[in-house]
Amino acid sequence: MSTRRLRGGRVFDPANGIAGEVRDVVMRDGRIAELDPRAAVDEEIDASGCIVLAGGIDLHSHIGGGKVNLARLLLPRHQCTPSALATGRHYAEMGYTSVFEPAMAASDARQAHLQMGDVPIVDHGAYVMLGNDETLLELLAQGADPQLVRDYVGWVVHATKALGVKVVNPAGISAFKFNQRKLDVDEAHVHWGVTPRQVIRALARAVHDLGLAHPLHIHCSNLGVAGNIASTLATMDALEGLPGHLTHVQFHSYGTEGPHKFSSAALELAEALDAHPNCSIDIGQVLFGQTVTASADTMRQYANVDFASPHKAVLADLDGDSGCGVLPFRYREQSYVNALQWSIGLELFLQVRDPWRVVLTTDHPNGAPFTSYPHLMRLLMNKPFRDEQLARLHPEVAEQSALKHITRELSLEEIATMTRAAPARLLGLRDRGHLGPGAAADVAVYREQGNAEVMFAHAAWVYKDGEPVVRDGEVRASPVGATHFAEVQFDAGVQRLLDARGDAPLGLHRHHAVIGRDELCACCNGGRLFAWACEPRSP
Amino acid sequence: MRVGSVEWTCPFCSLLCDGFALASREGALVLDGSDCPRARAGLVAHQSRGQPEAFVDGAVASLEAGLAEAARRLAQWRQPLFGGLGTDLAGVRALFRLALRTGAICDHADGEALAAGLRALQDRGQFHTTLAEIRARADLLVCVGTDAVTHYPEFFRRCGLDRDDTPCRRLVFLGAEPPTQLPAHMETPRIAGSGDLLADLQQLATLVGAATCRHADQELAGLAQALRAARYAVLVWEAAALPRQGALAVEMLHRIVMLLNRETRAASFALGGSDGAATAQQAFTWLSGLPLRTRLQAADPEHDPVRFAGERLLADGAVDGLLWTWSWTPERLPSVADLPRVVLGPPGMGPRLRQAGAARDCVFLPVATPGLNAAGHLFRTDGTVVPLVAARDDALPGVDRVAASLLEALP
Ligand code: SF4
Repeated sequence: MSTRRLRGGRVFDPANGIAGEVRDVVMRDGRIAELDPRAAVDEEIDASGCIVLAGGIDLHSHIGGGKVNLARLLLPRHQCTPSALATGRHYAEMGYTSVFEPAMAASDARQAHLQMGDVPIVDHGAYVMLGNDETLLELLAQGADPQLVRDYVGWVVHATKALGVKVVNPAGISAFKFNQRKLDVDEAHVHWGVTPRQVIRALARAVHDLGLAHPLHIHCSNLGVAGNIASTLATMDALEGLPGHLTHVQFHSYGTEGPHKFSSAALELAEALDAHPNCSIDIGQVLFGQTVTASADTMRQYANVDFASPHKAVLADLDGDSGCGVLPFRYREQSYVNALQWSIGLELFLQVRDPWRVVLTTDHPNGAPFTSYPHLMRLLMNKPFRDEQLARLHPEVAEQSALKHITRELSLEEIATMTRAAPARLLGLRDRGHLGPGAAADVAVYREQGNAEVMFAHAAWVYKDGEPVVRDGEVRASPVGATHFAEVQFDAGVQRLLDARGDAPLGLHRHHAVIGRDELCACCNGGRLFAWACEPRSP
Repeated sequence: MRVGSVEWTCPFCSLLCDGFALASREGALVLDGSDCPRARAGLVAHQSRGQPEAFVDGAVASLEAGLAEAARRLAQWRQPLFGGLGTDLAGVRALFRLALRTGAICDHADGEALAAGLRALQDRGQFHTTLAEIRARADLLVCVGTDAVTHYPEFFRRCGLDRDDTPCRRLVFLGAEPPTQLPAHMETPRIAGSGDLLADLQQLATLVGAATCRHADQELAGLAQALRAARYAVLVWEAAALPRQGALAVEMLHRIVMLLNRETRAASFALGGSDGAATAQQAFTWLSGLPLRTRLQAADPEHDPVRFAGERLLADGAVDGLLWTWSWTPERLPSVADLPRVVLGPPGMGPRLRQAGAARDCVFLPVATPGLNAAGHLFRTDGTVVPLVAARDDALPGVDRVAASLLEALP
């Protein structure tokens, strides 16, 4: 380990109130350090003409697990389905240093960790999916004590070494196994009699009481359905003031206005967010071109099978706890729906006022591959460029989009918030996403220029834990990334409930259900393990 | 792992049964709770625990000398094939790195069956299910072209068909003889079909889609009706039991499942991927972005499911060296003996290579067997990764360690 000084760059560090000041950043023994400007260092890097940011953090990108690999098998070697090795390298080239898999099926946790362990350079972690597992649905159907629900959720987080909890189409994936084709927030699951509202409330409560830093990560009901803004707002309401993170909200902000009965409800969502300080979002921006959609939401993915392009799909019912749907998809500029989706995503970015509650994502690979982030940043930062793109779209969208009248251009500070500071805060990663003394020395340096797309595509330097990994946009070193997971406290008596259910909870014999630390370490290629201790909160 | 405890997972087929006990009787390991012949054969094959010996061209060598010689030869081959690939996840990861360095083409010993399933998937996709889902809700199970239990003896039990609370009412065999032992409490009809599985599936698809079809086989028409009436039907197929043009049959089967899902629920279930095949396929796919039958080279890996079929490359003499990895039964030797080889196998494989006159031009390195004398991870046939525990300790290195040492020793 050594001491390095990045000299004379413009620093954007929103968590510490620094917005473009020219100053030095010193990295010592893997951490950001305070150092007298005259003190000697092992290496001094001239960062003049550059901007200096903390390493990027993607809190929602499908980088590991069964469905990611199915996507690779379905569309081999497409840029939307990069190998684990390419994933780490491309993220690092763009200055990202942490990436989180948002949809780890409990029964697929080992595979998710194995795949992420093979993603080099970036640190990683995952949110385990609950809310379609038969154990929880049965508990809710029986009106179980919230404490028991909390202990069960705690056990699943512990067993799967998750950092957070995600719910996908609450109760809907399970309902589809019983041939239910749609499930609104207050509609009952045909078998368990449980509603999505109950699932949201129970899980948000459990996540909160366990003291998990990341709020319940929510993929709402009715993804992609015209008029689904109603279920999105109802979901926010179901939280009853508890924290919740609504993910890829672009896919959940649709109205039914206009001749096509499909319209933007971005403003409604932005206003609801103002009224719900307990909620945060990420966008799931759509960008044009070929990609593949990979989701646990079997119900909604099956409904879209006929739109798959090329026309094929892999779907699955999984282990009594989840599902899977993988569909190739091509977003076209001349499609009214796709053009409007593009517009809605950008409207959301630009209409939500508080950048601390918005995270920049494309829901890789669902809206677009993560490699298009630099293009997305340019769209957000440059009104004339955005207008140029808008003009190329389906004429009705080009004509009517609210985007035409939105003049806001995101600043570098706001981009740094949405890609670094906010996701770190939402995940509870106290020493990431900022450049204060003691923070992990994950640093991205970009050569400043007018075109944000060019600037953010290839960092001039990237440091991971203080060591250089990228120089002039090229990967120079590929260290193994670390794994973040939560360490929760729960009543071990919950084991009795699980014993009674045989191998039901995880599709594995109960003796094998829990991933121990040594096993996690082996799965993750010997990378470091960061256990985040959770303080239980009183209900 | 202490023998006698229940915490054993059987590695000998891709069902990876994890509920049975392993007991030690008179020095031999025996399965408790199942009389699975495949597991028994697997355990018997590894019964003897003689001194593990590496050799170079038949002459006993120390492991270090064997490794050094193997690395020296490996480095000289211009186009190596990494065949067999019968190992666990850690072994696959290590072999991948070695293959990347040496520009090897990689295929599993059962790559043909893998390729058929993959082709069907890539063409139109599929809708599949898992053991836990079958146990929870399958009311109709149709075994297509396989009796399932010849190669996967515990399959019906893993589907919960022996349990009183099984939702399954019917177990149908289409184009396959039912096994002699069948689960009680359910109908188990056999539909002989025409003898041409592909034609039968085609007709079934028509019947499922349109309900009527001229000159329909009455039994197939009955099956189509039962499938449509079922709440959750599962069509089971076995990769290794497919007829010629197997991918077409699988595609047709997937089509039937997709048609059924328009009105009711249905899914397919594949039996295959044993001996690390599914593990190698999955791990290579995430590591390189491409499935097996790929030539790994750092800049631009090349995939060709036909040209890079392992057995075909060997038959055509298209490679100049073979690294054969097989951690399971000691009998599975490389199919060629006249090609320079490095063989990683259980200790019992060394003597067999000598007996078969296949020790010339061959370096043999003994390795552990995951799930027997080493821990590890394997993919179950339904896609779940299952951890394996060691039933005993034979102080043997795993494939991961041997492959990593080879990589280190490469000049
Ligand atoms: S069915 Fe397969 S996994 Fe199960 S005991 Fe037999 S050989 Fe082992």
